[in-house]
Amino acid sequence: MFLGRVIGEVWATRKVADLDGHRLLVVEALDQGGPPAPMVTPVVAADPIGAGVGEEVLVAFGKAARVACGGDGDFALEAAVVGIVDDHQLSEEGSA
Amino acid sequence: MLVGTVVGNVWSTVKDPSLQGLRLLVVQPFTTGGESAETIVAADPLGAGVGERVLVVFGRAARHCIGKGHDIGFQTAISAIIDRMELTDGRGVDPVASEEN
Repeated sequence: MFLGRVIGEVWATRKVADLDGHRLLVVEALDQGGPPAPMVTPVVAADPIGAGVGEEVLVAFGKAARVACGGDGDFALEAAVVGIVDDHQLSEEGSA
Repeated sequence: MLVGTVVGNVWSTVKDPSLQGLRLLVVQPFTTGGESAETIVAADPLGAGVGERVLVVFGRAARHCIGKGHDIGFQTAISAIIDRMELTDGRGVDPVASEEN
């Protein structure tokens, strides 16, 4: 599970049936205030709660993600937005 | 799940019997700084082609996509062929080969 920012969205017509109706967001992990890393592989997460581009979100993986999207073990998803973050705070130690 | 571009195929004769019939593609993950040097191998139940941008899933979700049950020796699969990707600031969005051709 991680804290990230929605940086975009993807659309697909040819896909496994489980993905029908699921919005797919591109989420980049939040850094700790330093300069952005030059090469980050963003996560694609299904979005059952309606997050917007630019918002900070909580992303869950695995079964937690499938449950959040209304599925269970037999579901073709393994990452999902499970919360939209109102605010967060890091301690000085945490941001060092 | 991550976005990647199909850059090649893999063929294997000597393999775990559970992998019989799987189409295997080499996928280069998308990064915000351009093409990743690393590649991953994913089973492809959809028929993606070289140059296409795809969505890659891992683990149990991948085995579900492959559709041969959960007792197979594979953990990565393509779950969608991406038509369009938009990023807020345009970072790293290079044209997909299939859109150019």
